[in-house]
Amino acid sequence: MHDPTKPDLEESVNVTEAHERVLRGAAAASRENRLTENGAEPVSMWVMALCFIPVMFAGWTAFGYGTPLFSYKDTVREGYVQVIPPDDDGAKAEPMTAVLAYSKKGAKIYSKCSGCHGPDGKGDGNAYPSLAGSAFAQGENERFAMIVLNGLTGPTSYGKTFGVMPAQGAGMSPEDLACVMTYVRNNFGNKVGDVVSKAQAAEAIKISAGRAKAGAAVTGDELNADHKKTLSGAAVKADDMVDPITLEAVAK
Amino acid sequence: MSTPSQTPVNDALRRAEIDLSLRHPVMFFFTSGAAWLAVAILLGIIASAKTHSPDFLSSCSFLTYGRVQSAHISALVYGWGCQAAFGALIWLMARLSRQECRAAGIILVAGHVWNFAISLGLISILAGEGTGMPWMEFPVFAWVPMLLAYAAIAIWSMVQFKLRPAGHVFISQWYILAALIWFPWVFASSHLMIHAFAGNPVMAAAINAWYRSGMLLLFFVPTGIAAAYYLVPKVTGRPVYSYSLSSLGFWSLAIIAPWAGMQKLAGAPIPNFLPYLGAAATILFAIPAIAVSVNLLKTASGAPETVANSPSLHFTLAGVIGLLVLGGAAVFLNNPAVLPGTQFSMANYGFDLLGLYGFFSFIAFGVIYFVVPRITRREWLSSRLIKMHFYFSIYGVALVVLVAVFGGAMQGIGLEAYKQPFEDAMTRANPYAVATTLAWCFLLFSNVFFFFHLTLMWLRLGRRSSHPTLLGAHHADDLHDATHGPEGDIDNGGPGTVIQNPHPHAH
Repeated sequence: MHDPTKPDLEESVNVTEAHERVLRGAAAASRENRLTENGAEPVSMWVMALCFIPVMFAGWTAFGYGTPLFSYKDTVREGYVQVIPPDDDGAKAEPMTAVLAYSKKGAKIYSKCSGCHGPDGKGDGNAYPSLAGSAFAQGENERFAMIVLNGLTGPTSYGKTFGVMPAQGAGMSPEDLACVMTYVRNNFGNKVGDVVSKAQAAEAIKISAGRAKAGAAVTGDELNADHKKTLSGAAVKADDMVDPITLEAVAK
Repeated sequence: MSTPSQTPVNDALRRAEIDLSLRHPVMFFFTSGAAWLAVAILLGIIASAKTHSPDFLSSCSFLTYGRVQSAHISALVYGWGCQAAFGALIWLMARLSRQECRAAGIILVAGHVWNFAISLGLISILAGEGTGMPWMEFPVFAWVPMLLAYAAIAIWSMVQFKLRPAGHVFISQWYILAALIWFPWVFASSHLMIHAFAGNPVMAAAINAWYRSGMLLLFFVPTGIAAAYYLVPKVTGRPVYSYSLSSLGFWSLAIIAPWAGMQKLAGAPIPNFLPYLGAAATILFAIPAIAVSVNLLKTASGAPETVANSPSLHFTLAGVIGLLVLGGAAVFLNNPAVLPGTQFSMANYGFDLLGLYGFFSFIAFGVIYFVVPRITRREWLSSRLIKMHFYFSIYGVALVVLVAVFGGAMQGIGLEAYKQPFEDAMTRANPYAVATTLAWCFLLFSNVFFFFHLTLMWLRLGRRSSHPTLLGAHHADDLHDATHGPEGDIDNGGPGTVIQNPHPHAH
């Protein structure tokens, strides 16, 4: 570049030519428009009207839901968490026969049993006896309940001694017991056709706790001597219509 | 403000010098940003495919959904978005302040540091070390180098602004300066609050939500708007439609955007007004969106032929329309009637994508199509490649946003039907998830043209011509041999082109 203090003495560079060279390389930069921003159009009414829509929505959001504003104490808004109200449609399912409703719930509880007795209830004939066709399972319901609650040792109703069945009663509610017993008595080819009601199951739990050898596994002899009877407590008929969730009777 | 020295030729020379001084850092940001965009799209396809086909690539632990989705959004935000923004910001500020860049080397080094930090961060995410906080998934080590690199990139633009010739400050400069200041504020305060100070973890989630919104509304939005305010009047040669709308747009954004973000935490045990104030602010974001887009669309509407011809304007105006849609989506998704449903659905992802891609990326493409010929001194090779990129991008982004926002709303309705099994909500969302995968494939296809074209430009294989590559129909005959430009005008740039310039006083 030339010395700026002596512009007139510099003759070796033709300024126009030098510029041409640069501009040739920078064609895009040399054909640009000037930036102008002098537009002075007023903000039109319809833009204001359009902007009014978000203002309305924002006001509704902040003042309708965000109140009290800037209160650091209010952390939970009333009614934000939704719960199914007790008398709501959502809680009501189609009523079905008691034996079906109990069995449906029982099938889920039976998953505890299926590890040994198998998903088809047939056991393996060696260490685990079959529930299908079992006299204990299909016989008097108190006897069956004692086995479920306390486990079984010694000979079974087949006369054969399998392994020792551990007690299953811990943590079992009357409803659980009622359902799983109803399921076993009416599935795997068993067709007892009755329902073990929740009241009966509660009675069974009471009897189990009051046994002389409470906590120990029952034996076939004890069962036949003390428990070969039908449980007292309000019975439910197999074809009564019940709510599948609550298992309470519903009017037909 | 015309001084005697501001003759057209001197003006063009000044511009050329500024472009020359910035060519390495700007080209670096654009090309490495594009490479990250490719990574982000590939990861996006995998992540989206996994939402409807969970067994896809399930044998690789580093490609599980949680990692791929995090890696996808991180690559998109920090690899592509931030780098495209940096390139645009430093170039625009130098041009508008009429200052050459005197620190190109430092910016270039800082750019490499940024890339190194996010590469390590991304590998860590795929290795299972991600933090699990949306948009902040990089492990703790990454944020300090990223912030330092940012400072080394941005400080020079602030210096240039300080040294600008006395006089008027152009609208774009407001936004550039705002973005330059807001980014470190949002980035540093959020990372400090979460990584450096021990606080309530629920509040950390709220800060994270604010950060995600802040990055979009306080960095990508002002950057995109700055570029649009530059490109639209620059290419059309028309004054910005309304100065009042410009002020309204800028100040409403500055006042509203910092409040937005915490609506993601509605129903969480944080002070109740925070999420609803956040929702209200996000809704109010529609006001700057309307002001800016009306202003720019009105400006462009005076020069329909230029709009039809210019690749930059095609992308920029598509992005401006994206901004308008973003404002509408903000109102739709954040009002209390819809908010509970969209809070946990894919609608949020749709909103992010609308902002990042439908608005910001389109404007970034507009900037790239405008800037790259100036800094490489070559013209784009083919209008057909640009058209392919444009139309497939439009289809892809329209599909992905429509699907994610609408499908998200559908999913939200399913989630809100709390008496029904959860599975129902997922079943409702499933077809939209499939469509999202398809849309990402569209975007990949469109960007293949862009990557290819940009690579050729980067290799300095562009056309040597004084004629720009235009899209208009009446140029189609001239462009049948696209690689050589119309009428054999190879290397014929010169003073003649300056004299033809209808606006002798270039900025």
